[in-house]
Amino acid sequence: MSITIRIILLLAIGGYFVILWSLLSKKQLTLKYTLLWILIGILLFVLVLFPQILAVISRLLGFQENMNALYVCLIGFVYILLVSLTAIDSKQSEDIKNLVQENAMLEKRVRELESRLEEKTIG
Amino acid sequence: MQMQTVKSKKLIIIPAYNESESILKTIEMVKKAAPDYDYIVINDCSKDNTREILVRSKVPYIDLPINLGIGGAVQTGYKYAADNGYQIAVQIDGDGQHDPGYLKAMEKAMADKGLDMVIGSRFIENEGFQSSRLRRLGISFFSRLIRLCTGHTITDPTSGLRMAGKKAIDLFTVNYPKDYPEPETVVFAIIQGCRIGEVPVVMNERQGGVSSINPAKSIYYMVKVSLAILMARFSMK
Repeated sequence: MSITIRIILLLAIGGYFVILWSLLSKKQLTLKYTLLWILIGILLFVLVLFPQILAVISRLLGFQENMNALYVCLIGFVYILLVSLTAIDSKQSEDIKNLVQENAMLEKRVRELESRLEEKTIG
Repeated sequence: MQMQTVKSKKLIIIPAYNESESILKTIEMVKKAAPDYDYIVINDCSKDNTREILVRSKVPYIDLPINLGIGGAVQTGYKYAADNGYQIAVQIDGDGQHDPGYLKAMEKAMADKGLDMVIGSRFIENEGFQSSRLRRLGISFFSRLIRLCTGHTITDPTSGLRMAGKKAIDLFTVNYPKDYPEPETVVFAIIQGCRIGEVPVVMNERQGGVSSINPAKSIYYMVKVSLAILMARFSMK
């Protein structure tokens, strides 16, 4: 991996952290759901800063280029992120279902109470 | 406005999605065949005028503000049953396929054999509307898969006509899949120690509306439900 590519990647990772920071400070991201993104940013930063780690991975997997090891790591990170997003989505969809059910049952109670109240005031 | 009292402690859950053509017929059948039951329609955010019909006819209903699918709708009914102290809850589809006349036989089976859940099965005596050949093939596949996973024989695991006792009601309030819930909930209930039996029934062809399963969805259905059965069997809860 040439020094030029490493500098570009480091700058890109720096930009990535600036974006994360600005979204976090504007409360457009919740820290809870951003921790994984931050962690992955740090891992990428370490991999680019110390290409020896990539060299070890390359040797283990039989790659000629350290860049390929970086790609493999990136794809792995993206998969982990996607699975975590699906997990968050599943939980939210379950939460929404429970809320909808509770709300609908409450609506029935309110409706019945209102009509009972109406009967009383008329009667 | 009729107020429902909870003296009978038996509830009929009628999930309804776009059933304006048949919902009142279903309710008439229910009132005639099972006068000792309370009933509640779960309107799953129908796009037609099902809700207006329910309001006009003073039918007790729960109105879901978002479409949850059949599983979410039926589960609402079980939650309502649990909240209001019902001892028995039975699910009858809103499209007129299920004859509430079978409730007595189901209740009797439940009491006599000490069951927690009774399913109305089309395939014990093989009478009446038997569904298409392809669907029967799918159903018998699920039946075999369930026997393999649990050792229990359920001849009609996809039947929507099912009666639940207190134990099954409480189970279903905490765990009920959103779509195509029937076979999966059978396995879940068996694993959780429910005793399940079947009673022979004859089903009608639906009187209106459309089935929730079209050909395009059937592959998804087979894969999802098969996986769900295996998951229910092998996940430790």
